[in-house]
Amino acid sequence: MALSKELFDAILNGDAKRAHAATETALAEGAEPMQLIADSMVPAMDEVGKLFEAEEYFVPELLLAGRAMKSAMELIKPLLVASGQKMAVRVIIGTVKGDLHDIGKNIVASMLEGSGFEVIDLGADVSPEAFVAAVKERQPHIVCMSALLTVTMPAMKTTIDALSKAGVRTQVKVLLGGAPVTSQYAKEIGADGYSENANGAVGLVKSLLAVA
Amino acid sequence: MSRDQVRIRLEPLALEIETPVGTQLIKALSGQGIEFPCGGTGTCGGCAVRVLSGSLPVTDPDRTAFLPEQLALGWRLACQARALMPLVLECCQWRMDVLTDDACLIGSGKHGLGIAIDLGTTTIAAQILDLATGKVLGVETELNPQASFGSDVMSRIRATLQGDDLTKMLRVLLGQLVMRLARGREPEVAEVILVGNTVMHHLFSGCDVEPLSHAPFVSPNLGGQTFCPQDLGWHLPSTCKIRFAPCLGGFVGSDILAGILATGIAQSDHLMAMVDLGTNGEIAIGNRFGIVCVSAAAGPAFEAGCIRMGMRAATGAISHVSLCGEEIHADVVGDVEPRGICGSGLVDAIAVGLRTGAILPSGRIANGTKLFPIAHPVVLCQADVRELQLAKGAIASGFKLLLKRLGATAGDLKSIHLAGAFGNYVQIESALRIGLLEAHRERVYAAGNTALRGAKMLLVASRESALPPIEHVSLATDIDFQDEFANCMRFPAADDHSQEAETYNNSKIADTRER
Repeated sequence: MALSKELFDAILNGDAKRAHAATETALAEGAEPMQLIADSMVPAMDEVGKLFEAEEYFVPELLLAGRAMKSAMELIKPLLVASGQKMAVRVIIGTVKGDLHDIGKNIVASMLEGSGFEVIDLGADVSPEAFVAAVKERQPHIVCMSALLTVTMPAMKTTIDALSKAGVRTQVKVLLGGAPVTSQYAKEIGADGYSENANGAVGLVKSLLAVA
Repeated sequence: MSRDQVRIRLEPLALEIETPVGTQLIKALSGQGIEFPCGGTGTCGGCAVRVLSGSLPVTDPDRTAFLPEQLALGWRLACQARALMPLVLECCQWRMDVLTDDACLIGSGKHGLGIAIDLGTTTIAAQILDLATGKVLGVETELNPQASFGSDVMSRIRATLQGDDLTKMLRVLLGQLVMRLARGREPEVAEVILVGNTVMHHLFSGCDVEPLSHAPFVSPNLGGQTFCPQDLGWHLPSTCKIRFAPCLGGFVGSDILAGILATGIAQSDHLMAMVDLGTNGEIAIGNRFGIVCVSAAAGPAFEAGCIRMGMRAATGAISHVSLCGEEIHADVVGDVEPRGICGSGLVDAIAVGLRTGAILPSGRIANGTKLFPIAHPVVLCQADVRELQLAKGAIASGFKLLLKRLGATAGDLKSIHLAGAFGNYVQIESALRIGLLEAHRERVYAAGNTALRGAKMLLVASRESALPPIEHVSLATDIDFQDEFANCMRFPAADDHSQEAETYNNSKIADTRER
């Protein structure tokens, strides 16, 4: 579809204005919002992830692509809400308490959103209580936590413990990310998975939901 | 890690290797650029290492090579030892020339001797001077003994929170260092001043580091701390006053306060900048009306820390790279076969790659192999370029946000002072080419160890010098930081040619996908 190719290219090249315009045009010409996500945005972000894996793209390209994708989503989201359509998978994401690093978390959030998941971003410095409240209220399938400092990593455990204490731990899969985090640490504190990078996080969510 | 492997960390490069249990260190270390001048016979003492963590038994050649005090401090001959347990070793050959300071100051009416200490995360430099004349009488340098807990400040905080006593080890080592400086001198030492980043300040002073372990990183103990020798167990006259200078805020400590004094920003009518490039890059910009400063986490790339073939500026390291016509020319320390690349060589190499178009402004290596050959066998891989992009992006974006905060542009800066060891060795043209700084070449100066110089100024001053307001800016809470950081990770395009190459390659990616 020519229209979706325009949106695809705009996201791949990190051009937010063009992505916005392409989405407007496509919607005006009668494209289904869900279809636009599935046919244009998901393949584009998928390609961005592949280019990152292949060392062609780096952090700036990921951020730009994420921004382009977001500018398209801004137009599509209200339509989905209005029509009562829901995305099949809901993810809550945030950087843990005491930690203000949000670039990596933002990239993961946009990669997940670009993979067709509904993403609720709680921001940075998110307390265990805020994670628990969001899980209770929004009923997500997945909770993603990020920490970039060795000294804030323990807040991941505190948050998992808080989810258990609130009786909602088993409702969700908990995934971890961030430079100092390891898969061994994830196992130790009872998380369901760990990914080294944003692209891996997408694969992880998909594989976890397939078995869930 | 499998069970029959042991991990060895080599300081001060913070290089980690794994080797099978029982491996001779001569085998494990020679691959990392450590030399064994006598071929491992235990006679020359050239391969000396100090055990910072773990232990190595004392051998007969060790007893010949070292004094009993040195053995007690953990010095051993690497060629005589085997790796039986996890080890942290300080490698004598890598002991960087810790930068000290030659500046002579004018005394201001004080009497007696004074000692100024620049307490760095990695290195310690100290000088003893005559307070009346300002003359430097002696110099001592050391590695920070806390390195056994990790190379960055966060690892030190974590170790402290887990119950290790990092304060005591620091006070003991500095007590010995002060003794060595003071021994046999008259008159007595009247004053000692220390400068350092906020974490060093807290760990030396015994303040709680917990507030520094999480956002908003605000500690109630940022002020100057005063001690008498008995408090620290130091053998100095009981009347001697020991001061740790106050921090400026967040992770910006008194080392930057000292740098502001040493570079003269606080007295300048015009806008000046100081950039101290280390694992944490600190930047201060301002003039006598006000100064803003920031701490940006640059990581170890400028010290070639996480670079695949990165190494210290030791024998075999490519220290400088230049273009001779079309050919890449590499200077190698010691004029031997190249074995790796150090921080200054890395910045040069990337500048050269940008000039020839081998590296694109996006940071991609253009030739499709994802390898950029420098001088056989040394190559840069794509991930190495990315590491440098992250580091330079952090510094450059911090710099831009401070300028923005002041409502100024790079053109308004009268001078930019590069402090610290890296600032001393890097070629300024290369630093500008990769976009680390945006400035006129003739306005950038290598400033040396400004922390030590400023500490000496604090020491000889008869009263506290009046400073303009100094505001600490937090990058994490700046809403523009993420965008600026992403922008600053790109390298500046030299001319239209390289921009064309970039566009061409981007469209090629899109084309491939369409097919």
